[in-house]
Amino acid sequence: MLNTRIGSLELSSPLLTASGTFGHDPSALAFLKPGDLGALVLKTVTLEPRHGNPTPRMCEFTGGVMNSIGLENRGLEHFQQVVAPDFSGLAMPVIGNAGGHAVDDYVAMVGAMHEMPCIQAIEVNLSCPNVAGGSLPFATDPDAIQRVMQACREATDKPLWAKLSPNVTRMAPLALACESSGADAITVGNTVLGLAVDWRTRKPALGAGFGGMSGPAIRPIAMRMVYEAVQAVNIPVIACGGAQSADDILDFTVVGAAAVQIGTAVFRRPDAFSIIAAELRQILHQASTTLDELRGSLEWPGRVS
Amino acid sequence: MVSLSADARCGSALITNTRSCGNDAFVLELQLSAPIGELRAGRFAMLSPENGAGPVIPRPISIYDYDGGIKISFLIQILGRGTRVLAALRPGHKVSITVPLGNGFPETIFNREAVAVAGGVGCAPFLTWLRQREAQSKNTHMIYGARSADRLYELDAFQQAPGRLVCATDDGSLGFVGNAVQAVQTEIAEGRISSDAVFLACGPAPLLHGFAAWAREQKVEAYLSLETYMGCGIGVCNACPTPSSESGAFSDWPWVKTCIQGPVFRLSDIRF
Repeated sequence: MLNTRIGSLELSSPLLTASGTFGHDPSALAFLKPGDLGALVLKTVTLEPRHGNPTPRMCEFTGGVMNSIGLENRGLEHFQQVVAPDFSGLAMPVIGNAGGHAVDDYVAMVGAMHEMPCIQAIEVNLSCPNVAGGSLPFATDPDAIQRVMQACREATDKPLWAKLSPNVTRMAPLALACESSGADAITVGNTVLGLAVDWRTRKPALGAGFGGMSGPAIRPIAMRMVYEAVQAVNIPVIACGGAQSADDILDFTVVGAAAVQIGTAVFRRPDAFSIIAAELRQILHQASTTLDELRGSLEWPGRVS
Repeated sequence: MVSLSADARCGSALITNTRSCGNDAFVLELQLSAPIGELRAGRFAMLSPENGAGPVIPRPISIYDYDGGIKISFLIQILGRGTRVLAALRPGHKVSITVPLGNGFPETIFNREAVAVAGGVGCAPFLTWLRQREAQSKNTHMIYGARSADRLYELDAFQQAPGRLVCATDDGSLGFVGNAVQAVQTEIAEGRISSDAVFLACGPAPLLHGFAAWAREQKVEAYLSLETYMGCGIGVCNACPTPSSESGAFSDWPWVKTCIQGPVFRLSDIRF
């Protein structure tokens, strides 16, 4: 009933983990019933180890949390030797997530993940700062996106997803840059850049200063970004941002999302995927409809003269 | 690789009772949907109201008492938004719970003289610990400190538990006048506790820092039960790290995950 397709990838459910919110450890999958999670998107890996940001790395605001983890990971070699073998033989597709600070970094990461049998698709994290481009995230510049994605496309024939950022003015040109570079799907989006401060200490609440907002408060932003991307391209768009319930998944579906990534909701309930999947089956059954029937069925209001 | 403990479960639990302790704390008694097996003292749960109220993320709370079946309780001080919404829940309400999490106090020290050093609500993990050391009660001490007598939560329960209890209050309203670390120093100086004992501390950050400084200086064997800001409690979000020491068990990486590699750490394994 929840079967979903993202390009050539067949999934048992439209629910995916959001990169960085399910770590590099399959043991948390024990909280889930088989089939409820459609695919496991792993935390971003970079070529070299990254120690991540100073603490505090997380703080709260009404309706969400802010984080500045700083892509803490032990690098590609550790990922190949220690992490990836733990994920072979899973019943669901495993999606690697590649980070980088230059085109060559991304190509090396995608090339390495191409060789790993346990990785079925590769998501490219374009929110990393582009060192050669004034350290603005690749995801803010269609030309930078094109350089990265074209080079990655040449490095693999596995399904290649581009993960975009909501910290932009218009999504359409960025989504088009992904599509024209040969991406198989686009993930829209990521955390929304924010700042929390404490006037008593006169310091930012997070150790790194700025942080990325996630949780239900950013869902309308993600919804708008997904809508713009869906309108602009013909490849599948995977929604990411603030989904917490089956209704949220169906809202994203009506806007046109092929699937939905869930992150912050997992912190409150590690079995969130199973709770939401059960709720989805019940709602679809009661409404006598299907995900396919709902997908992209949004009726935009007509102009009032 | 470090993994989530295999006995962790998540689900919902029914609140069977709540009772207040002093002016700013309460005990939350829950009925689990299934037993979670034998528990080492010092482990914790992630708790949040099931009705969706309160912060987006749950709160890490030390296990106070567990009967081995489906009855579990938590001693919680009301400190912010998360604990305030938990305090507002009543019998019949439900909480989302992930439990048991973390590693707990080391079992290897069972035959040795051991001292719990608790500050305020930091007493919570030690009730189970004292009971589990019943066979070693002559070798077991608890130094229980707080700002004032009304913050020595659940004092009756600790008085009835095995082991020797020493209370300390900053204002002198009960027991030793001073904090728990000063009380430990006096106990050692007066020969009631040996400095060869193992010391386990849990409490507010100032107490833990004072304890760590003393333990390093005196070169005693010490463990800390830490509380850091946690997103998930299950090792996936990387939000709760504690810096590792360069010579300790976690020296291959500058951070340890407080949730699944702690919350109890040997002092020499962390930078604190």
